[in-house]
Amino acid sequence: MNQLIETTLLLEIDGEQVEVPQGETVLKAARALDIEIPVLCHDDRVEPAGCCRMCLVEIEGQRRLQPACTFKASAGMKVRTDTERVARHRRGLLSLYKADHRLDESGTPVSRGVHDMLADHIATYGTGPELEPVNAPRVSREHDTNPYIQFDPDACVVCGLCVRYCDEVEAVSAITLLGRGASTTIGTADQRNLLDTSCELCGGCIAVCPTGAMTEKPSLEQPTEQIIRSTCNFCGVGCQLDLHVAEVPVTIGATGGGSSTGANLPVGTKKKITRVTSPEPGTTVNDGNLCIKGRFSYEFIHHDERLKEPLIRGADGQLHPASWEQAITRVAEGLHGVKQRHGADALGFVSSSRCTGEENYLMQKLSRAAFGTNNCHQCAAT
Amino acid sequence: MFGAGAMTNSIPEIREADLLFVIGSNTTEAHPIIAMEMKRAVGRGAKLIVADPRKIWLSEIADYHMQLQPGTDVALLNAMIHVIISENLYDAEFIAKHTEDFDTVREATLTTTPEWAEQITNVPADMIRETARAYATTRKAGIYYTLGITEHTHGTDNVYCLANLVLMTGHLGIRSAGMNPLRGQNNVQGANDAGASPIFYPGYQRVDDPKSQAKFEQAWGVELSPEDGMNLNVMMKAMAKGMVKGMYVMGEDILLSEPNASNIEQGLNNIEFLVVQDIFLNETSRFADVVLPAACFAEKDGVFTNSDRRVQRVRKAVDAPGQARADWEILCDVARASGYPMPHYANAGEVYAEMAGLVDQFGGISHERIDRDGGLQWPCPDPEHPGTVTLHADGPIKGKAPFQATFYRPSEELPDNEYPFLLSTGRTLYHYNAATQTRRSSGALARQPENFIEMHRKDAKKRGFADGQMVRVSSRRGAILARVNVSPRMRLGCVWMPLHFGESNINYLTNDAGDPITGTAEYKVCAVRVEALEEASAAE
Repeated sequence: MNQLIETTLLLEIDGEQVEVPQGETVLKAARALDIEIPVLCHDDRVEPAGCCRMCLVEIEGQRRLQPACTFKASAGMKVRTDTERVARHRRGLLSLYKADHRLDESGTPVSRGVHDMLADHIATYGTGPELEPVNAPRVSREHDTNPYIQFDPDACVVCGLCVRYCDEVEAVSAITLLGRGASTTIGTADQRNLLDTSCELCGGCIAVCPTGAMTEKPSLEQPTEQIIRSTCNFCGVGCQLDLHVAEVPVTIGATGGGSSTGANLPVGTKKKITRVTSPEPGTTVNDGNLCIKGRFSYEFIHHDERLKEPLIRGADGQLHPASWEQAITRVAEGLHGVKQRHGADALGFVSSSRCTGEENYLMQKLSRAAFGTNNCHQCAAT
Repeated sequence: MFGAGAMTNSIPEIREADLLFVIGSNTTEAHPIIAMEMKRAVGRGAKLIVADPRKIWLSEIADYHMQLQPGTDVALLNAMIHVIISENLYDAEFIAKHTEDFDTVREATLTTTPEWAEQITNVPADMIRETARAYATTRKAGIYYTLGITEHTHGTDNVYCLANLVLMTGHLGIRSAGMNPLRGQNNVQGANDAGASPIFYPGYQRVDDPKSQAKFEQAWGVELSPEDGMNLNVMMKAMAKGMVKGMYVMGEDILLSEPNASNIEQGLNNIEFLVVQDIFLNETSRFADVVLPAACFAEKDGVFTNSDRRVQRVRKAVDAPGQARADWEILCDVARASGYPMPHYANAGEVYAEMAGLVDQFGGISHERIDRDGGLQWPCPDPEHPGTVTLHADGPIKGKAPFQATFYRPSEELPDNEYPFLLSTGRTLYHYNAATQTRRSSGALARQPENFIEMHRKDAKKRGFADGQMVRVSSRRGAILARVNVSPRMRLGCVWMPLHFGESNINYLTNDAGDPITGTAEYKVCAVRVEALEEASAAE
């Protein structure tokens, strides 16, 4: 009864009819038809800005090409994305971007970021005339000591998506467009260290940057050989994570002891988590977003101080390494001893809301079925 | 009151809400990604009401910030209920159709006027009136709360009050409304769902219900105890009194995380046998007889269930270090060594299948299905069922939901001359609980390397404390050191400390008085004294 009746309209893109809700943009209408329109500065989580000009299309009755991300669809509209005029525009624009971007030996834009859209678009749509490199006088914050995020001005196309994400989604407004004209850059107020701003180190700027100008710091820069989808192990939101895994060199400094002064001698390789990213926006509960803990707090996984072998306390009062068999036997005997002397309800089983559902199931089963007590709980309130 | 402890609604619905009532939740720090959804709703024009003793990030963008005195939630909420009843803003049709005992609440709140509540809470009466009106008259109005509501000796009453508000306004069973506890840990929901509870088998089946008992005895092939077990709070006290003699602790640093740490330390000293199973040595393992090395989340398979009842996969990406093994494998070995014939599960999926076979709500969930379709929200009773986004969507409850009258009573330990400050504790954005993980992260260390105590500038000035000065904070139970953080977030007379720092463990200060029903301890209110270091040593 209360159902809102959504008004829809019909338009035509590249000769195909599509019905979309009133107020939808041309870009979204094209996506409904699986027609690819390239973008750089667009992300569904922020208001469209139409500033990168990558998504310009031909619209009947419009003298100029129009940005599909901001232009609203209207009834009977005829849009073309596949004309020579649009293709020529894309090539020309990509030439301009390329001239203002660091290239590798083969002349491909360099990106170490999450996305490499500029190189992808050049591969798909090609470029126009080779232009002289533009050495735009953009600056970065060389002195910034934050441990995670760095900005590489030579890879930036100043689309401002990171700034809009920081404003509109994370809503902390830590970064901003600074300067004018060709020297416009991504900076902070007074070019302060990110740690001295409202930045919460969520790394969203890295995740949205289309050209890899916002990246993890080089200390975190690692290859990816495999991606495993998992669930974050911190708070209860249940963000989905893509764990990037690679075989990386292990050095003595990283495996043995805490000594940091010794030389890091390579002693082989090990499969490690090298980076954490979010699945695509719109696909999981976190909608492409992560916080500092989800994105960056994975150093503990490969930390030196991880427990690596069972330990049993000896007569000397110290913990000593033991085999699994010895340790498990000791646990069973110890718990049984208490049960025999004092009854099952003198035992307590503390399960964990950090562990998996299966593990919690097994802990309460151990408590109830193997030892006969309901004294089983977990840190639900802490 | 109308179902299990879980969000009635889903996280993606938050952005469509027209009103958000956030109480006892510092969402931007404790649940940053849910906070992003809230920010988005506010950006769209939703009204935001925040009730929190501190000025928090969300209160900056809120339409109303009710900066109440800690521990006075019942007074505040009953006053809101009073306004809704006296101004006839309740949903009489919903109440008649789906609830009972409304009159008990009507009677209990006859005299809880906003003016009365202002005396107790310090929230202006007019603001209570306006927020009550706004909440009652907005249909897509959701309540979001967390441990600021539950970690009190009247935590259950706080929850009852919120449920009363939801029921009397009929804000249930519709999108973007409802009652939404944001769960603290990755798998609080899943741990409770799986029966890691002294009173419930998996799926909230009571241990003292003979039918459930018979079902699990049949499934597990042994006799089971019909006696309720001890909750963690009671277990810790029983240990200190010498009634609990053996403990098996998996994945929690109880000495750092449970209240009144001196008492726990005493218990751990007396205990005959202690097993600690974890990924790092911690404070508790100092007392352990056996320490078992466990795999972390990236090294094993299984499921976590998030705040909105979404069962999602955890997948093994890398090998555990050294000989460390997955907790589930260790538990199976311990059970077998103890003489119980735990089945030889080939993988975690088989463990899940056993549980799903014993719980109707999870019957349609399996590892295979999640791998194929992504996370599934319970109830999901059969393999064709799509899962449940919004609870209570077709008529709220099985039967009728009872209202529960509540009466304001002060927190257990309030400030006095000797201990003049009211201390609340909580989590920060950068760290996580016992911080065994985040204190090994460079970003968290750059932001918050050590413990601090937030304090109003006038309180600091009165005692001559400079920002950053090291002070001694003491309660009737213990004392620790921390740096003063003069903070515009605090109320006069109130201080706040994070819970993440082992060497400066705030749980030497906190009170282990528990809620009479849940046993959840009063982490949010205890009385402390703050002294400059010289002053403190001179007094000793």
